[in-house]
Amino acid sequence: MTTPHDWFIEHRSAFVIRSLEPEEERSFNEHLTGCESCRTETARIERELAWLPMAVPPVTPRPGLARSLAEAALGTGSRVPRWAVPVSLAASLLLAVGAWGWALQSVRATRAELASVRDTLSIIRDAAKVRFASITMDNHQGGVVLFADERTHRWNVVVYGLPTPHAGEVCQFWFITDQGMIRGVQVKSEPSLPAFLTLSMPNDTSHFVGAALSLEPAGSSGQAPEGPLLAHLIL
Amino acid sequence: MTRPAPRPPDAEQARAAGEPGARILTLEHEASLQARLLARDERALLELIDLATPWLLGVAQAMLSDQDEAEEVVQEAFTIVWRRVDLFDRESGRLLPWLLRITRNRAIDRLRARRRRRLKTERLQAYQAFGEGWTAAREPNEASRPGWHVHESVHAALRALPEDQRLAVQLAYFEGLTQSEIAERLGIPLGTVKTRLRLAFDKLRTTLAPIRDWAL
Repeated sequence: MTTPHDWFIEHRSAFVIRSLEPEEERSFNEHLTGCESCRTETARIERELAWLPMAVPPVTPRPGLARSLAEAALGTGSRVPRWAVPVSLAASLLLAVGAWGWALQSVRATRAELASVRDTLSIIRDAAKVRFASITMDNHQGGVVLFADERTHRWNVVVYGLPTPHAGEVCQFWFITDQGMIRGVQVKSEPSLPAFLTLSMPNDTSHFVGAALSLEPAGSSGQAPEGPLLAHLIL
Repeated sequence: MTRPAPRPPDAEQARAAGEPGARILTLEHEASLQARLLARDERALLELIDLATPWLLGVAQAMLSDQDEAEEVVQEAFTIVWRRVDLFDRESGRLLPWLLRITRNRAIDRLRARRRRRLKTERLQAYQAFGEGWTAAREPNEASRPGWHVHESVHAALRALPEDQRLAVQLAYFEGLTQSEIAERLGIPLGTVKTRLRLAFDKLRTTLAPIRDWAL
């Protein structure tokens, strides 16, 4: 004859691995408060299965993650989205370009340059949609961030952390539309510097739904990627 | 046939297997780390992050299939450890397994929240997770990473399970499904799921018990 306690005995492992239904889990937790044998046994199961998560192989953290984890745990900072780093780099770069121009060019030219910088940054600030995708290539970990300003129909795109493509290859930007893909510009990637692009929507009646990056043979001009896709973003 | 009991490597063996200068989490080192964490030594936290992050990220990413979410979960785990290390009881377990448990529980919470919001998308095919790629080193020197011998032993224990039990473990333990969700996913009776899981975890407990005090 089975007793109500048998149910708890039978489900100890299921409780430890959290495969009980939420109501069962609550009931088991309540039971534990008054049952020494179940407490002891579940603790034992927990110890015996302690290393089970390590069946999964480790993942090498991206550069900078350890620091941001420490800052977040210590309360000295918070983990910022990965796209914020290249964006701030790009913004700094733009401001540096603006400052450099100010020193070398006439006031008139400088004003135009700064207006351009301000305009570009406004796309970031006013972007209605921001999308991010990570890219792994030749042991480099990079990413692409897209800021879509629907008001001006322009996109700012930051590509960072990508190695220079092999000889005979180029990194190609694509617009994804409901009618298919439209070839955009080539992206000049360097691992140490983010590439920053401001793109206007092609004069097309298609509905733009996203963007993609691919590696293409140099000189190719097809209207669809031929090489491997590095990343895609859907708005 | 009874599987031979795994041989626990001592610190020297583990060190010899590790990268030059790699830190090994022996029982003594772990006790020292815990004491330093309790004393609010920030360098102890950095050491723990250095040592544990690859394994925590591995678990979180395998479960969530999302790098950003996995990093958030790992961040939450370290925040809990730093703020509540006083809750950790060395008598009832080890420091890294405690972190792994926190990480896995957080990942399960997120998976269930996703399901509640009906935003869950089809993720990795369940069986791929236990594919050959899990044993092969995927990065240079990965096999010499501290803890790799634990990974190999645990993985071997899982591979030794019958296929149907291994799949049930995969869905329950690494995808966070409840027993009834597994029954629904596999189209089998709930009682069968319970039996498979019970048999699988009985075997795993027996196989893994000898390695519970291994140095990492």
